[in-house]
Amino acid sequence: MPTLTPDEWQALALSLKVSFWATALSLPVGLLTALVLARGTFRGKSILNGLVHLPLILPPVVTGYLLLLTFGRRGPVGAFLDANFGIVFSFRWTGAALAAAVMAFPLMVRAIRLSIEAVDARLEDAAGTLGANRLWTFVIVTLPLILPGVIAGAILGFAKAMGEFGATITFVSSIPGETRTLPAAIYGYTQVPGGQPQAMRLTLIAVAVAMTALIASEFVARRVARRIRDG
Amino acid sequence: MSLDVRLRHAFGSFILDVDFTAPAGVTALFGRSGAGKTTVVNAVAGLLRPAEGRIVVDGATLLDTARGVDVPKHRRRIGYVFQEGRLFPHLSVRQNLAFGGWFAPRTAPQPDFGQVVALLGIAGLLDRRPGLLSGGEKQRVAIGRALLSAPRMLLMDEPLAALDEERKAEILPYLERLRDETRVPILYVSHTVAEVARLATTVVALKDGRVARIGAAADVLSDAGAAPLFGPTEAGAVIGARVLRHDPDGLSELAAGGGRLLLPRVAAAPGTTLRVRIHARDVIVALRQPEAISALNVLPAVVAQIGGGEGPAVDLSLICGPDRVLARITRRSLIALDLAPGRPCFAILKSVALEGRESGETTAAFRAEDR
Amino acid sequence: MRPPRHRQLLAALLALCVTAAPPASAQDVMIFAAASLKTALDGVAAAWSAETGGEAVVSYAASSALARQIEAGAPADVFISADLDWMDYLASWGLIDPDTRRTLLSNRIVLIAAGTDAPPVEIAPGFGLAALLGEGRLAMADVDAVPAGRYGKAALETLGVWGNVESRIAETENVRAALAFVALGEAPYGIVYATDANAEDNVTIVGTFPEDSHPPIRYPVALTADTANPAAADFLEFLGAAPARALLEAQGFTVLDPTDADAHAG
Repeated sequence: MPTLTPDEWQALALSLKVSFWATALSLPVGLLTALVLARGTFRGKSILNGLVHLPLILPPVVTGYLLLLTFGRRGPVGAFLDANFGIVFSFRWTGAALAAAVMAFPLMVRAIRLSIEAVDARLEDAAGTLGANRLWTFVIVTLPLILPGVIAGAILGFAKAMGEFGATITFVSSIPGETRTLPAAIYGYTQVPGGQPQAMRLTLIAVAVAMTALIASEFVARRVARRIRDG
Repeated sequence: MSLDVRLRHAFGSFILDVDFTAPAGVTALFGRSGAGKTTVVNAVAGLLRPAEGRIVVDGATLLDTARGVDVPKHRRRIGYVFQEGRLFPHLSVRQNLAFGGWFAPRTAPQPDFGQVVALLGIAGLLDRRPGLLSGGEKQRVAIGRALLSAPRMLLMDEPLAALDEERKAEILPYLERLRDETRVPILYVSHTVAEVARLATTVVALKDGRVARIGAAADVLSDAGAAPLFGPTEAGAVIGARVLRHDPDGLSELAAGGGRLLLPRVAAAPGTTLRVRIHARDVIVALRQPEAISALNVLPAVVAQIGGGEGPAVDLSLICGPDRVLARITRRSLIALDLAPGRPCFAILKSVALEGRESGETTAAFRAEDR
Repeated sequence: MRPPRHRQLLAALLALCVTAAPPASAQDVMIFAAASLKTALDGVAAAWSAETGGEAVVSYAASSALARQIEAGAPADVFISADLDWMDYLASWGLIDPDTRRTLLSNRIVLIAAGTDAPPVEIAPGFGLAALLGEGRLAMADVDAVPAGRYGKAALETLGVWGNVESRIAETENVRAALAFVALGEAPYGIVYATDANAEDNVTIVGTFPEDSHPPIRYPVALTADTANPAAADFLEFLGAAPARALLEAQGFTVLDPTDADAHAG
């Protein structure tokens, strides 16, 4: 298989970087959200659930546009973050990571929530009667038992982030080295006559990465589940 | 130590309204399914918040809805043994046992790990995972785990319900030792009279969400008025008897307060005190000492109390020495023999009916006079 | 054995699904048009509908994307491209009807700035665009594929400033997206068509690129080779008629007469 051009490497490396950070930073948020949705009882829970799933249902371009309005240079959150923390999303890889994180979030939360719901809440009650407060119960009882689901959710989120296109290109366009991720590069090559070979190469790589991620997630989740059960 | 419970809670149309105080020892919370027992226990543990209530354990107020006191469950220091065990599947038996110890307050007296393991006979299971244990083993580990959290009291919600007869028979001696050797008071939920008879120091009988009868085990179980709570086949008194000797023909002789008892061979050594359960339906009442009958146990008695009701059968409470025995006979015979409180008579018990399986060792007191 | 009623219900449901997607009736036309035509062509399409009763459905995107779609078999009747190269591309594959091809419009590219009162910029060889941009980026359509981007890059190359700003470009899928970035203030400057700048209130035209700095901007139009739709030819003619001209010129397009239009071998 022919080697990649520097441009293609750049797109691949950027995609990996963007997806990694998108997954790493949204995982704690996703875990907390899944916990709240699985175990919480409060008004507005269905609204929260709806909000979480919005990126799954809205057209990606719409999500990208909403991100632009909110986190763009002049958006309420974007301007605030820039002025106070120096965090800029506009036309930067951080923006691509944000778009990828938002699009991957619902999948991550779903996977983790399902695994939390599979844990018998009565075990958590038992831990409480033995003196463990909610935090300790979560760390010692719930977390180990949901670990396979968390891993699966993280890898699923990573794979989705790798494939994110519509929201990214709408929010931060396609800038080589900053926001021209693998899908954006593939799209670019398909638009130019004679770009077929590059598009094909990158497509194969994208497929390979996605397949590896999905197979790995299955494998790791099962291994971890067995470890937990058998010690 | 005492347990003070006052609760009021409604589930749809079912209203639970209980108010009782129990002393140290094993307090059995007895009632049919749906009588509200688990609700009471969950409220004591802090897993359920009743609409109204006050729960005081050993002087510590755990719940007082009137004053807004509601100690969270992880601070109540109440060990709970659940019906299904609820061992943590991802931890070893040793880790499960140690779990409670990790969170016990430093100031509480730490139970000795080795002692608890020996008490429950689980030394050989320490490195296994709960998934590989039998039902009986799981329950013993669950009890150990609860004990090792240095609780101020233990709650047991029908811990033997999910086990077969063999396993139950295996565990009951451990529970008896628990009762007799540790100083931790136990609130034991059960709908099985046999368990209650064997383990309880105090009995709180619930019916339709209310306390129907509360008292020392021997008193409640021999109360003719309370007999309907236990049902015709299960009602029966419990008396204490000391093993004298084992006869070569397979019978054991015991000394009860009201006379000698002969039963099929019991496993206990001479000198041990047993609780002997006597089903009311196995007791025959006679006005004169019978001759030439097969029953070997004839105890002189006096009629103390006659139960109410209108059916063909009636319960009688008979005084036999320091004990009371419950007898269930036909109303026809009651009238024919002209039995009334104060009438001297004889209680006749078939040896074979006093099957040793239901008798367990006891060192704790279970009659009001003994406390 | 299923009861017949279920079968009937299922059949009815399927029929509904099939017919619910309206098949293009003989009177409807499917037009693929460059994104920069959006505002103007919507008006033309509405006028044609009013006159003929048929419906003109227009799909706007970058000419590059549309050409690729037609190449892949998209059911367009008419194609209006923003540059000659993409029309030539389709012609080389025999995907358009060469007899129907003509060059319809001309346009100018301009430098726009965010806001309604930005100061004018003199566009001359070597002008300080990089300095103007500062930390911000120049929003343009994809400079390799989309006509607006290619014209812009050509102009900047001719003026000798491309090297300075090449790393400061924010490329978008189509020219309207570049316009949106500037309108939102996300990018301080952008290069779009004059017609686009006219259509958007939140941007100011701060400079117009000299026509000789880039290849002539020509919008060719043609019927696709596959179309058998009589209404398509009718629409094509309508494009050259007075009402359509007026609408297009109102947006800032220069409508070319058939005689002087075909400067490029068709």
